[in-house]
Amino acid sequence: MTNDPEAPPAPQIPPISVLSLSVPVAMGYVPLGMVFGFLFVQAGAPWWLALVASVLVFAGASQFMMVPMLAAGMPVATIALATLVVNLRHVFYGLSLLDKLPAKPWARWYLVFALTDETYSVLTTLPAGTSTRQMVAVALLNQGWWVLGTLLGAVIGAQAQIGLVGLDFALAALFAVMAVEQWRSANSSAPLWVAISGYAVGWALMPQQALLTAIALSVLVGLFWPAATAPTEPS
Amino acid sequence: MIDTAYAFGVLIAMALVTFGLRALPFLAARFLQSHPMVQGLGRFLPLAIMTLLLIHTLVGSARDNPTGPWAELVAVATVLALHWWKQQPLLSILAGTALYVLLRN
Repeated sequence: MTNDPEAPPAPQIPPISVLSLSVPVAMGYVPLGMVFGFLFVQAGAPWWLALVASVLVFAGASQFMMVPMLAAGMPVATIALATLVVNLRHVFYGLSLLDKLPAKPWARWYLVFALTDETYSVLTTLPAGTSTRQMVAVALLNQGWWVLGTLLGAVIGAQAQIGLVGLDFALAALFAVMAVEQWRSANSSAPLWVAISGYAVGWALMPQQALLTAIALSVLVGLFWPAATAPTEPS
Repeated sequence: MIDTAYAFGVLIAMALVTFGLRALPFLAARFLQSHPMVQGLGRFLPLAIMTLLLIHTLVGSARDNPTGPWAELVAVATVLALHWWKQQPLLSILAGTALYVLLRN
């Protein structure tokens, strides 16, 4: 896209930096994709189904969550609802990208489809004037890493009969990492305490529905949360 | 063995839900941008949801673990501390998982 007549003469980042932006994502996606592929195949899925999941769904946390639910044969609607809950945060990602994503329909909708936590963070760091092709390249590379990791993990999982207990703790560790990152960037730790108390309340009322109860309570509190930070001190 | 047709149904449902969530702001941009309640929710929910998913996963692991919640607590404390300190997602996840596997085997 060096000679796009419609684009304003904005500084364009060269392809090499698109790749370098995608490298940290690769370091997370390839191993995590491997863990997903491995766990899914060990749970009884054929290797190609793991690939289908990573191509069609492309949402790390919910793919992990689905493995034990699918293995237990839970209803499609239940898994869909759990997906809705786990991926709910993605609703808010688009808000800051409304003007940034390209207008070309295929590019726009692929980027919307590929809007994972990591792709979102890369897209928000790209400078204004980044070409459509470069944005799509970042998203395609990121999904490529995820699919590659899934394939590797699924192939290993199909060969190996590893009896190690606790590999699925990777998921808890992933949530812990994301919680710490949200905590560091949040300007209030109230959501953390609301979540913990909400879960305790849910557990006391209905242990089987503790998560759903706590999410409902968090949404309720969040609705009355101020949209912008009021200045706490006059400066 | 997992039934393929059922698994396909699950994956397609998940794909539709995920895409729907990601596309919603682009379809309802004006409504979402103009409602302070929605924006407040957007600022509040991410940390709350991550905390809940973490607690829920830990509770699930601890209930499957006959020796009690100590392995989970030690491993998650390690991940939290390591990530707060180093901010290297891969390092935190691998170290925490390796520690947990060691504690459980």
